[in-house]
Amino acid sequence: MAIIDVNNLTKTYYTYRRGSSFTDTIKSFFHRERVNVNAVQNVSFQVDEGQITGILGPNGAGKSTTIKMLTGTLYPTSGHISVMGYTPFRDRNTYVNHIGAVFGQKSQLVWDIPPIDSFHMNKAIYAIPEKEFKNTLKELTELFELEDIIEKPTRVLSLGERMKCEFVMAMLHRPKIVFLDEPTIGLDVIAKQKIRSFIKEMNRQGVTFILTTHDLEDVEQLARKVIIINHGQKVFDDTLQRLKMNLGAKKIIRLILAEPLAEIELEGIKVIEKNSDYEYTLEVNIENNSINAIIRRLSEMCEFSDISIKELPMEKIITEIYESKESKE
Amino acid sequence: MNFLVKKFRVVKAVALVTYKEWSAYRTHSMVSIFVGPVYFIVQYFIWSVVYSGKTSLNGMELSQMLTYFGVTTLIGYLTMDFADWNLQMLVRTGKFLTFALRPIHHRFFALSQKIGHRVLGFLFEFLPCLFIFVFIFKINMRPANFGWAIISVALAFLMNLYLNYTIGMTAFWLVQAAGVRRVYLLLQSIFSGGLIPLVFFPGALQKFLLFLPFQYVSYVPAMVYIGRYTLAGVSMPIPQIVGLQAIAVAVTAIISEYIYRLSMKRFTGVGA
Amino acid sequence: MLKKYIRIYIECIKISISTALTYRLNFLLDNFIMLVSNILFPLFTLLIYGSGAEFPNWSLYEVLLIQAVFTMSTGIANILFNGVLWATMRHIIEGSLEIVLIKPVDCLFFLTASTIEFSSIGLFLGGLVIFVVALPYIGPVSILMVLQFIVLFLSGVCVMMGISFIMAATSFKWVGNSRIPEIFESIKYFGRYPQNIFHKVISGFTSFIIPVAMVGYFPAASLLGKADATAFIAILPCFLFAMAGVFLFRHMIRLYEGVGG
Repeated sequence: MAIIDVNNLTKTYYTYRRGSSFTDTIKSFFHRERVNVNAVQNVSFQVDEGQITGILGPNGAGKSTTIKMLTGTLYPTSGHISVMGYTPFRDRNTYVNHIGAVFGQKSQLVWDIPPIDSFHMNKAIYAIPEKEFKNTLKELTELFELEDIIEKPTRVLSLGERMKCEFVMAMLHRPKIVFLDEPTIGLDVIAKQKIRSFIKEMNRQGVTFILTTHDLEDVEQLARKVIIINHGQKVFDDTLQRLKMNLGAKKIIRLILAEPLAEIELEGIKVIEKNSDYEYTLEVNIENNSINAIIRRLSEMCEFSDISIKELPMEKIITEIYESKESKE
Repeated sequence: MNFLVKKFRVVKAVALVTYKEWSAYRTHSMVSIFVGPVYFIVQYFIWSVVYSGKTSLNGMELSQMLTYFGVTTLIGYLTMDFADWNLQMLVRTGKFLTFALRPIHHRFFALSQKIGHRVLGFLFEFLPCLFIFVFIFKINMRPANFGWAIISVALAFLMNLYLNYTIGMTAFWLVQAAGVRRVYLLLQSIFSGGLIPLVFFPGALQKFLLFLPFQYVSYVPAMVYIGRYTLAGVSMPIPQIVGLQAIAVAVTAIISEYIYRLSMKRFTGVGA
Repeated sequence: MLKKYIRIYIECIKISISTALTYRLNFLLDNFIMLVSNILFPLFTLLIYGSGAEFPNWSLYEVLLIQAVFTMSTGIANILFNGVLWATMRHIIEGSLEIVLIKPVDCLFFLTASTIEFSSIGLFLGGLVIFVVALPYIGPVSILMVLQFIVLFLSGVCVMMGISFIMAATSFKWVGNSRIPEIFESIKYFGRYPQNIFHKVISGFTSFIIPVAMVGYFPAASLLGKADATAFIAILPCFLFAMAGVFLFRHMIRLYEGVGG
């Protein structure tokens, strides 16, 4: 059953072009040039209850604008949104009682005091009954192993610990839907992993998650459904498996050579960037060849001083999607 | 009733958190214990020589003048806030979003915060300075009427919050809202009565001040405390001026709420 | 050695000016507000005289002159020394004072030079406006009086320097307290008024212990021909006070190096 239903969602806003020189600022005082920004254009999608949905896209693609409209903190220019039967921007006052949200860089915690005090504040704001609050807090802190942490002032906590506390704060009132905007940004690998397993556990208990990210790994490990937005438009909306099928299994290898090499030619390897005879960026297809085998062959061919293996970057994924669409048509 | 209980719980929780947050800085509040009396000493000598040979200036006697400066200082500790600065920061950093996502009116949140913050001010600024004024400087600090004085100070508490909050909301429209704030603070510091009793201003200006909100922040509660109110030649009995103050607070609250709704429209429309 | 320090100082002035110019509109607005609020500063005195009262033996313009000199002195001090406190405070909170300590220049000098703040020029100009307004109403001024004024005014700036350095030194112990300036602001308040209105104990304190009388009162009194021997005796405590500021700051640096090293 669809818990979120979005139809032809569009958001356009105006900004004013500003010059930076002194005369420009004086001029702009009297006359300003209006610029239209189409942040989101005609986006429609549905999310089923109990799903984890990833909204992917490069920076400035319209992910955050979309999620702000879903949380009711931003009015759409046109289109319809229905979440659990509410129209978020219209019913915001009652609606926000039923959702939770973590916005990567915008903290709810009060800086100078321990998180536990901030939790008590939200307890009052959401009018959570004492018993329920205690049980939820116990469960969440155990899950994150935060028992001692929440007694320390927020300012002394590490970024990862703070982020975990943000999650607890957002989940205390037991929301049915939780929106996450870049929840793992800036975290180290272990903290990322902890956050991800927390999301999975909460999802098992029936919570629906919507997350925006530009980290493909977040999506790979969590989401079953993926929506990709680029330049405000939806370019992909399907399961993770379909996305993988579309993309194939590809990785990016960056190579720094000890000895110059005019070109690299190997089966399953495509040179996508060459800065000099020493620096190559390769795209490798690991569907038929294991990454092990590829590196072995590379090392037979040339002497390298540094090597790094990465996921496909967002921009690459989007071009691939466009290409696969065109080839189908 | 249930609604009120919930509201009260929110006030309590937010005030408590704010109290804890700021009590780490209570030594900062205690700077007032030095600064307040020092300013008072300067005022004491100034007015002592200014009154030499005169019994009354603009209808105020020396003892009333000293009480006036003592009282405005103390009222300041009970009613000050920086809701304006706070809100401007939240808007500028985008953190206002975390409040839009919670089921709470942010001005109500700010009010609760102020209560917590001012409890701290009461303990570490108001009480010590009151003690110094009464027992060391031997200034008469007994209000003419306890009940009216408390009501008037409470109204000033609200007035200051509504005014400052409204100034803070300019940040939803202006990038350079800090300038607006500074101009406002300048006007407020002069025309609220904190600088000098408003009866010292030229007559025409006094008439003008009668219709501005500034006097209700400091001058009115101080005069209610002393027990007689006059401005621009208009004298009012205490219950009447407190009633007027209540009306002024109500009007400001309504205007502030109207601007708040515009702000929310603006916030959700642009997503600042 | 001295040449190197002068060159550094000139570089810092250049940087400060170009920073101020980058944010021209802000700079102009800030200074305008500052100028207006400082022209309004003698309002209190004006209203007292306006209501028919006065400081005995002082005309309105004589009192305004004291306050004009006070504001000009504060303006110059704010441009030259005010940044030291905030820079020190920030470095201590962020634990980044080492960056300054490893430089091959004196720490206090570098902090002072690198925080010259031209955006306080409005403060000085505000004082100057009042000064020019009050000047025609005072008696004839001789060259000797002008020379006395200059010496006393510079001594006043020394006091302001001492205050800035003592505040900066305080911030080592009282970490992150943004209200430190208020303490000295309240003491400086005594310097804005004719000293003979205060009790002898207080005017002794403001002349010789923390000589804030030198910031406004004494230099103005010299222009009015009202300066007595006290004004000139008070020059010595001013320089001692400035030196005390330097010593206290250096002492705190040594403690910091001992603890933080």
